[in-house]
Amino acid sequence: MRAHPGNGHPQARRRNPLLSVAAGVGAIVMAATACGGSESEDGVVELRFAWWGADDRHSTTQEVIELFEAENPDIKIVPDYTDWAGYWDRLATSTAANDAPDIMTQEERYLREYGDRGALLDLHEVSDQLDLSKIDPLVAESGELDGQAFGVATGVNAYAILADPQAFEEAGVEMPDDSTWTWDDYVEISAQITEATDGELVGTQSMSYNESGFQIFARQRGENLYNEDGSLGFSKETLEEWFSITEELLENGGQPSAAESVEIEAGGPDQSVLSTGQGAMAHFWTNQLGGISESADSDIELLRYPGETSNERTGMYFKPAMFYSISAGTEHPEEAARFVDFLLNSNEAAELVLADRGLPANVDVREHILGSLPEADARSAEFLSEIEDTIVDGNPPPPIGAGEVVNITKRVSEEMAFGELTPAEAAEQFMSEVNEATGGS
Amino acid sequence: MSALLQRRPPKTPQNTAAPKPAKRVGKSPAPGKQRRENLAAYGFLTPWFLGLAFITAGPLLASLYFSFTDYSLIGDHNWVGLENYERMLTDERLFNALKVTFVYVFVSVPLQLALALALAMILDRGVRGLPLYRSVYYLPSLLGGSVAIAILWRQVFGANGLINQVLAFFGIQGEGWVSHPDYALGTLIVLNVWTFGAPMVIFLAGLRQIPAMYYEAAAVDGASPLRRFWSITVPMLTPIIFFNLVLQFINAFQTFTQAFIVSGGTGGPSDSTLFYTLYLYQRGFGAFDMGYASAMAWLLLMIIGGFTAVNFFASKYWVFYGD
Repeated sequence: MRAHPGNGHPQARRRNPLLSVAAGVGAIVMAATACGGSESEDGVVELRFAWWGADDRHSTTQEVIELFEAENPDIKIVPDYTDWAGYWDRLATSTAANDAPDIMTQEERYLREYGDRGALLDLHEVSDQLDLSKIDPLVAESGELDGQAFGVATGVNAYAILADPQAFEEAGVEMPDDSTWTWDDYVEISAQITEATDGELVGTQSMSYNESGFQIFARQRGENLYNEDGSLGFSKETLEEWFSITEELLENGGQPSAAESVEIEAGGPDQSVLSTGQGAMAHFWTNQLGGISESADSDIELLRYPGETSNERTGMYFKPAMFYSISAGTEHPEEAARFVDFLLNSNEAAELVLADRGLPANVDVREHILGSLPEADARSAEFLSEIEDTIVDGNPPPPIGAGEVVNITKRVSEEMAFGELTPAEAAEQFMSEVNEATGGS
Repeated sequence: MSALLQRRPPKTPQNTAAPKPAKRVGKSPAPGKQRRENLAAYGFLTPWFLGLAFITAGPLLASLYFSFTDYSLIGDHNWVGLENYERMLTDERLFNALKVTFVYVFVSVPLQLALALALAMILDRGVRGLPLYRSVYYLPSLLGGSVAIAILWRQVFGANGLINQVLAFFGIQGEGWVSHPDYALGTLIVLNVWTFGAPMVIFLAGLRQIPAMYYEAAAVDGASPLRRFWSITVPMLTPIIFFNLVLQFINAFQTFTQAFIVSGGTGGPSDSTLFYTLYLYQRGFGAFDMGYASAMAWLLLMIIGGFTAVNFFASKYWVFYGD
């Protein structure tokens, strides 16, 4: 806009000021219309499907969508995917803006958050389109809250101990017999491994970072993390005992130091002591076995939790890996239900997804793909069927606010590991913070 | 700013006199033309005005309203009056977040400005390749708030990071600096100090505005370099110091990215890096406690506004404008 040298009369070049007003307003209008939504074309219903995951899951899910669209030309599925951490922020804000995806994957700790606030469709309303009759009874009702089905389980998972036989061999320590081992054995074996390898390997990764392990521990004592009504289902003594095990392992060297643990936990499964070849045992979900085996380049084995046979009852449980849910605000609930039905009950879809969203919840579909699973997934499938008979019951759905408990667990564990809290104080603080987060008393 | 950074002109009393505002040359334009020009200006400002109204002021007022409700992001909300503000009084994590943020602001900003001034003075002595140094030192300021640098920081200060490898060379067994509650905040303070480039460039420009004759006169009178620094450089530079101080204070109070990435979004280990904004984010988007988060945002606004006001008030007593 600088005046050209030699142009003696800049005024002569001045434009009509009204034009600039129009230009300014025009730019706004353009910007505003550019982000308008696309309406569905004639006769074709457009649905948005949101999920979280890594690249691998994104590409297989796209293939599943293409397969579905080929069979259902009247429906178009728009993919909407991100990683785990960004997923919940995005879902929360889009739901707040009345722009929730029509179909979404949900997780146990968030399901109630959305369901109770009326953001999810009761799947009973679309039972004509969505067949739930073949779902494994152990997780069939896991998406039910107060008689309404806010989600249907995608697959089955169990929390277990992953152990690297190579590490045990290196340390000259025998692999434990997981049908009899106790919590004392667990502490002792972990210390032995660290000692035998002069600290080259640690016995086990810290277990206090995930409340899922404590849930098993509490269940072994006839308690649970939460009661049916969402209140705390365990005693302070039980939690104190649980934290004491970690304290003991910190003292005898069976697990990495507090600062090392912070770093290991921040790295996720890829930085676990198994993945980096720095330890013998860690606590994970069964569907994470594949990824960790691959990073560790070792045939990691699955072990039942300690104390399963030496306590009041067994504590391990099946957990719905995730849920498929339909937004209460969708304009096309029937079409959305048809897509969920396809994801859940179609053999072709399962052949693509395999055990990535847990071992398929539909028992017929599970049977169908069992033979074609990769080795590690096949091992976790076998493990799940082995422990199935020992599982007493499922868990009540976690209360509203359970998503926050993830961070409370982490924080309290850290404070205890750094010696700022004793196990008793840690138990007390955990209980009061969880109570506050979940609105219990 | 580039004009300020140009080579210092030859020092003569004439061109070191305080710059006077340029007198308007010629007669003022006719009223009609003036109005048309104003209209044109408003026309071009329309997008900005609309942006201010809908993208800044609208949400600002909405958050003020939400701070008096139990808004949860999803579903309905109810008016709860001052409940959110009352809850703050008993929120221990909020107090901890305030403590962490204050330590960060009051330690890192003075250190950062001191380093910026020191380097500006070295560069001002006429280093060869000044534009290169200036750019190199400025670079961290551009990158400091980025996700990539935060990730890099986590690596450098990790248990097996660069720092510990250097320490190991001298036979020292280092900690996992970002993973230990006693040191994690320190690494973030170092990160902020490291982004001294922006204030440094401004200091450099300020130093070049100080007439050299003052120094020459002082030197003739036998003033030591230290004396010249305290009696000439500092007083002449106070407006610039003040400007940098206000700007960096506000920036530091709002730090989010670094703490979010370095602690993996948790503010850990054991809340030692739980910055105010990070805690606000956790309440709003993690715990669906958007009403409370809105109230927190307004408290932060009041804190920053309060400190800036104190800063401006105090400036009357120490900032020297030379006129």
